[in-house]
Amino acid sequence: MGAALGTGDKKSVNVDLNIVPFIDLMSCLTAFLLVTAVWVNIAQINIAPKGKNRDQTVKEDDRPILSVLVQEDKIWIGATRIAETGFDPIPRTNDPDADWRLFEEKLKGWKTNYFNDRTDIEIAAESNVQHPVKYQDLVSAMDHAIKVGFLDVGLTDPAGLSARPQQ
Amino acid sequence: MPVHSAGPRLYKSIKFEHLVKGAHGGGGHRASNVALNLTPFVDMMTILVSFLLMVFSASGQLLQAQKGLELPKAESKDVLQQAPVIVLTRNEITYQGNLVATVQSVLDDDSPTLKIDALYERLKEAAEKIHADVVVGKVSPAVKKICDGMKNGVRPPPGQLCPDGLAIVQADETTDARVINKVVKTAKDAGFENLLFAVKNR
Repeated sequence: MGAALGTGDKKSVNVDLNIVPFIDLMSCLTAFLLVTAVWVNIAQINIAPKGKNRDQTVKEDDRPILSVLVQEDKIWIGATRIAETGFDPIPRTNDPDADWRLFEEKLKGWKTNYFNDRTDIEIAAESNVQHPVKYQDLVSAMDHAIKVGFLDVGLTDPAGLSARPQQ
Repeated sequence: MPVHSAGPRLYKSIKFEHLVKGAHGGGGHRASNVALNLTPFVDMMTILVSFLLMVFSASGQLLQAQKGLELPKAESKDVLQQAPVIVLTRNEITYQGNLVATVQSVLDDDSPTLKIDALYERLKEAAEKIHADVVVGKVSPAVKKICDGMKNGVRPPPGQLCPDGLAIVQADETTDARVINKVVKTAKDAGFENLLFAVKNR
C-alpha cells in the first residue's frame, strides 16, 4: 500500500495510502447490508375479487367467460357460451407438478382456440371440511393462468363462478 | 479534575523485544516487518459488499416474517409494492399487525355473506382514507397519473399500481381456501378491488 519515492540523493517521501477510513466505511456498509439483507425473494400475484356474489347480482356478460374451479381431487376448466365444450376435468394425482403442467397445457389450448384476444379468467376454489383445498393450490392455479397469458385474474367464491361444472 | 501524566505505554514504557528490534531494525538481528497485511481483508470486504448490494431488495421490508406463516411458491416475479397488509397465519388473521380474528372462528362461521365483520370495519376505514388521499391529491403526481390511467383501463407496470383499493394478502400456504374466499370477499366489500397475493419465488 505504500512506497518510498525519490530515493537517491534527496530525502525519500512516504506515499503510504491510508486505507483505514476505507476499511471503516466498508465495515459499516457490510454490517448495514447484512442486517437489511433479504434472503427470500418475495413476489406478488395481482388479482381482482370478482364474480357474482351471493348477496348481489352483476350484469350478464354476453361474451364467453373462462372459469376454473379448483377442488381437492379435480381441477375443472370451462366457459360460458361455448356450446361445443363442456367442463374439462383434470384429475389430481400424487404429483402436483405434473397436474399443474397439464392444467397449463389445457389452459393454453383454451386460450388459443377461444380466448386469443382475451386476458380475463375467473378462478375459484371449492373447499369444505371433508375436501379441503389449500391456498397453495389456488396460488398455483392463478400463477399458471398468468403464465399462459390470462393477466386479469378474477378470484371469486365457487358460487360466484359464471359457469360451473355439472357434477 | 487534576491532569495526571500519562501512564505506561505499550512499546514506550513496556518494551516489546520483538517489536523494538523490528522497528529499530537493529540490535544485531535482522529487521522484521510487523505490518498487518490488510489486502486480503479489503478484498474480502469488497466482494462481500458487492454481493450484498446486488441482493439488496427493498420489497422484503414490506412484509414481516411471522411464526406459522410459510408463503406459497409461484413463478411470478412481479415485485411487491407498498400497501396495507392482511396477514393470515395458520391460527390468526391480522391487519397491520393487529389481531382481527382467529382462523378457526372464521371457519366456524357459516354466514352466507362470507364477510369477516371485524376485518371489514378496519379495511373500510383504511380504504376510505386511502381513497381520500388519492382524490385530494396527497399522492405524488406520478401516482396520480397511474391512478387516472387505471381508471381509463391502462394497465400499469407491475409494482406500480394505484394505491387506491390496493391491499396485500400474506397467507400461509396451508390456509384453507374457505378462509381466503372470505378474506377476499371482505376486502372487496370494504373497497379493496385489487389484491396482491404475496408469494415466494420458486
